Amino acid sequence: MELQPHRMQADSSCQPNEEQLAINAADIHVTYEDGTEAVRGVNLTVEKGEFFGFLGPNGAGKTTTIKTLVTLLHPNQGSVIINGHDVEKEPQAVSESIGYMAQETSVDEELTARENIQFSCKVYGVPASEQDERIEKLLDLVGLTDVADKRAENYSGGMKKRLDAATVLVHRPPLVFLDEPTTGLDPEARMRLWNYFERLNEHGTTVFLTTQYLEEVDRLCDRLSVIQDGKIIATDTPDALKSAVGGDILDLTLENSSRQETERAIEVARESDALETATIETTDDGFTITAENAREAVGDLFVALHKADVVVTGFDVRSPTLDDVFLTLTGESLEASNQDGANEQRATVPEQEVAE
Amino acid sequence: MSNITDEGDVSGSDTAQKAPGNSSVADMQISVKRWLVKTSRNPFVTFSSLIQPVIFFVLMAEVLGAIVSGALAQTVGSDINYITYLTPAIVIQSALAAAAVSGIGLVDDMDTGMFEKLLASPMDRGAMFLGKVLSEVVRIVVQTTIILLLGYVMLYLQSGASVGSYLQTGLLGFIGVIAIAVIFGGAFMAFSNIVALVTHDQEATTMIANLLTFPLLFISSAFVPLEVLPGWIQSVAVVNPITYGVDGVRAFMLGQNVMTVFDVTAFSGLWNTVIPVVAVLIGFNVVLGGIAVHLLNRASKAKVQ
Repeated sequence: MELQPHRMQADSSCQPNEEQLAINAADIHVTYEDGTEAVRGVNLTVEKGEFFGFLGPNGAGKTTTIKTLVTLLHPNQGSVIINGHDVEKEPQAVSESIGYMAQETSVDEELTARENIQFSCKVYGVPASEQDERIEKLLDLVGLTDVADKRAENYSGGMKKRLDAATVLVHRPPLVFLDEPTTGLDPEARMRLWNYFERLNEHGTTVFLTTQYLEEVDRLCDRLSVIQDGKIIATDTPDALKSAVGGDILDLTLENSSRQETERAIEVARESDALETATIETTDDGFTITAENAREAVGDLFVALHKADVVVTGFDVRSPTLDDVFLTLTGESLEASNQDGANEQRATVPEQEVAE
Repeated sequence: MSNITDEGDVSGSDTAQKAPGNSSVADMQISVKRWLVKTSRNPFVTFSSLIQPVIFFVLMAEVLGAIVSGALAQTVGSDINYITYLTPAIVIQSALAAAAVSGIGLVDDMDTGMFEKLLASPMDRGAMFLGKVLSEVVRIVVQTTIILLLGYVMLYLQSGASVGSYLQTGLLGFIGVIAIAVIFGGAFMAFSNIVALVTHDQEATTMIANLLTFPLLFISSAFVPLEVLPGWIQSVAVVNPITYGVDGVRAFMLGQNVMTVFDVTAFSGLWNTVIPVVAVLIGFNVVLGGIAVHLLNRASKAKVQ
């Protein structure tokens, strides 16, 4: 892939050995019983200590991939090594060395927060002498100390998510898998979880996070892979991926957006010398310019347009979003792709079936 | 590395460790405890499987007690009080009511994601399910004890009879009654979990349990001696696990061979009932348990080709 060079080259010049890798998945294929090929040849190498993002629309294969990594699904082909343990041969050792937070909030609602965490402590064999202290610290960390003895069924969605996050960390796993941890949360709850994950990673925990939000990846991740239709289409740092879009984006709305007038305006923009290597596309009510110097060029561009009697009624300069990255990578926007996923039963249903 | 030391050891790499893991027995204890706590959180659900049998106990003793004494005299002996005769039926009914909702917990765990969470944990899968089964066994033991006590109180109030005449085989009988109730319950726990795994639906699981209870109870030796019932009921009763459960408990209570569906003479006295009954109930356990385990295994492994 064109968009992979940055980090991949660094990797090949200094190939990390097996011990430095938290995740080493090679050529995984997962085909469901109904024939849906959810994952088609995914390769992932995540180093210890990395905050790694896994980005893609609904039904792209994110959950299927993560379930394969945490031993819940058996790949039809390919190998997965987690913390040096083969998922097929030593599933027990793998599950002992990871924390897995499923997409669906998984807490026992009949138990209190304290009891939920205590139960996880026992399941993961935390020594009895350390349990009380660790429970208190985790409750404090996720901000549930005040409601620790209330049953989880009374909690809000965000509180349940935080409790879920606490329960997967009782054994201080060196590697944590988070499957769309903030989907469906309000902005404040999302921010709290982000802070929490950041702190986790600062303390050396490797984090593998799937998400649909570029914002999330941007804020948290060192590196990410973009997945679509069961295949990884790019792996790089967030900045490198965004710069691959070709700079910042300037959306212009024209008073007269007839085809002829728009084309004339585009011609003016091209000839204005304000832009360097710009990509220009027409939109419904004007046109969009993607250029490295889109921000700096706005003034000159407007002067040129004004001189040519082109009336601009609205404009927006922004950095590329996931949608733009997606558009560049696939020629299809993420939103459209998500809609396809929702319409296309085969792409989404198997994931849900397994999740049940 | 950050120096937020107070949270450092919650997740720090210096302290990051592999979970030490537990033995299967420890895993089982953890699971039993969780399910018992959950049961205690739902006193309503727990008692609902006692309320119906208790209401039945009182009503049947009053209503049918007046008319079945003749039938009892013909079949099991003229000195048997109907309350004593009825107690085994209620013991089995309560065991059935407790066991038949076993699958609800499983569906609930699948709905809340706890099922998958535990599958991804190092917990031993067999121990995880055995723990749930054991918590239900505890419930059946408690309920059976309550029903036995209640039966004696009712008998005492009516006739002032001694404990010896109520439970003819004494302490052995008490243990025997509980053992039969538990083995009987096992078959229905398996059945309930099969329904749960097939339907993935709490309401369907509850409904099928309720739908089955009454027909099965009446088409058996539970309330009235089988000999006085119509021929077709006698035929169906042969394949009805309730007949075996009730006969087994009744043999311990009356201290005699009360087998209603076929004659066994290879052993002596009540063992002519108990031994074949246990054999048949274990058969039901093996078949239904096998199907349940198979379905659980399928649910645990994902649906991949």
